[in-house]
Amino acid sequence: MRVAAIALNTFREAVRDRILYSILAFALLLIGASVILAGLSIGQESRIVKDLGLASTSLFGTFIAIFLGIGLVFKEIDRRTIYAIIAKPIHRYQFILGKYVGLVLTLAVTVGVMALLVFLLAWLVDGRPAPGLLAAAGLDFVALMIVTAVALLFSTFSTPTLSAMLTLATYVIGRLSGDLVLFAEQVPSPGVRAVIRGIYLILPDLGRFQIGSRVLHDLPLLPANMLATSAYGLSYILLLLLLAVSVFQRRDFK
Amino acid sequence: MTGNSGITPSRIAIAALVLAGGVLAGLVIPLHRGEAVGARLDMVEERVWALPPPAALRVASLGFREMAADVVWLLAVQYIGGHVSSHRQLPHLQRLVETVVDLDPHFVDGYTLGALFIAYTGGNIPAALDLLERGHRANPTRWEPSHDLARTYYLDLKDYPRALHWFQIADRIPGRPHYVPRFIARLYAATGERETALELWQAMRDSATSDWVRSIAEREIVKLETEPHDAPDTGGRP
Repeated sequence: MRVAAIALNTFREAVRDRILYSILAFALLLIGASVILAGLSIGQESRIVKDLGLASTSLFGTFIAIFLGIGLVFKEIDRRTIYAIIAKPIHRYQFILGKYVGLVLTLAVTVGVMALLVFLLAWLVDGRPAPGLLAAAGLDFVALMIVTAVALLFSTFSTPTLSAMLTLATYVIGRLSGDLVLFAEQVPSPGVRAVIRGIYLILPDLGRFQIGSRVLHDLPLLPANMLATSAYGLSYILLLLLLAVSVFQRRDFK
Repeated sequence: MTGNSGITPSRIAIAALVLAGGVLAGLVIPLHRGEAVGARLDMVEERVWALPPPAALRVASLGFREMAADVVWLLAVQYIGGHVSSHRQLPHLQRLVETVVDLDPHFVDGYTLGALFIAYTGGNIPAALDLLERGHRANPTRWEPSHDLARTYYLDLKDYPRALHWFQIADRIPGRPHYVPRFIARLYAATGERETALELWQAMRDSATSDWVRSIAEREIVKLETEPHDAPDTGGRP
């Protein structure tokens, strides 16, 4: 109940944030513009609308996750509202969990709007619905939930600027971790190879959540694989939230 | 007060908007008029020149490889369009198309349309064949690359044994066009060369997704329909 109250409050606070609307407006504009670009592509209209739409949803969703996530805890400390909150009978883990759920809810609404627009535009261009697009956006949403959890973790002990940089770095490495493994295979030194593989295992493999390519090429979506990927994402989120709670528990607000 | 003189804040805003629009139009229209087509082509050429290699694009695209392939594809279309209208050479065409399929090896139209561009606009049939073979290797369950290989061997190189080989491969792949078995039979029987060529071009015209491809097909159909009927040539056939 307390978690729900904090989550709802965080959601209300987030939807009042102008940055959310700026990012959403840019995303919708780019998704809409994909139809114009598609007209210049010699028969690739459907591909361009789907591809650019899914990539925009993912990229702008990441911006929202990072820019709203980094201020989640810091704002409360900066405004000193944290003192009023911790004085109440609320556990710190409930506070962190509530903040996280609130932002994920905000993200669900914005990503939902973007994905729906991509789905409708693709339907308009293609003449037939492509439900795979919604599945792809859904799996990518799990990746965005990871990015939100990373931003929240950094927000518990760092400034927004540093949190943004660290989250962005995690996102970039996470997106490229598949290439990291390929790179490791080409390195002659077994020591360096082990270090690279270690980094790959520790950092989130965000590339796993991208199935847009399968939708684009009309390939089957492999539900078992999607379930396994979702389970991987959710366990990673759990780990990040536990870390965030443990850092936040240790913070001294006296 | 202001109501008496007719100057209200909203009217001032509208007047300012009209004035700003006028100034912008006055600046933009002569700017566009002065810009020669050649200058715009040079801009596209510069972007093509500055295009990083596929390995760098793969990293820079942060895993959004299909989107990067789309962007390079749009650049390739601009490059071809500009060069065709100005009758310039296309020295970077092959690199552009190869970058597209490097970024997205499952972009089948990238191979087939790219090969058409390379063969008919760039005039490089061996490079078009290489691209199509690569497309077949990367997408063995798609009939389009093997079909287009057969068509290129048949129509452009008159290499009938190779055309037969690739038609046979296309024939084994689900979704292939209905006429493939008929062509295989004709190739075996060493007859109907003109009919096969005509049907191949007609199929290309009917399935064309762009005016450019359609015009190539129509040009070849007219050529075939107007040229005198020769006796069937069986040279080089199986």
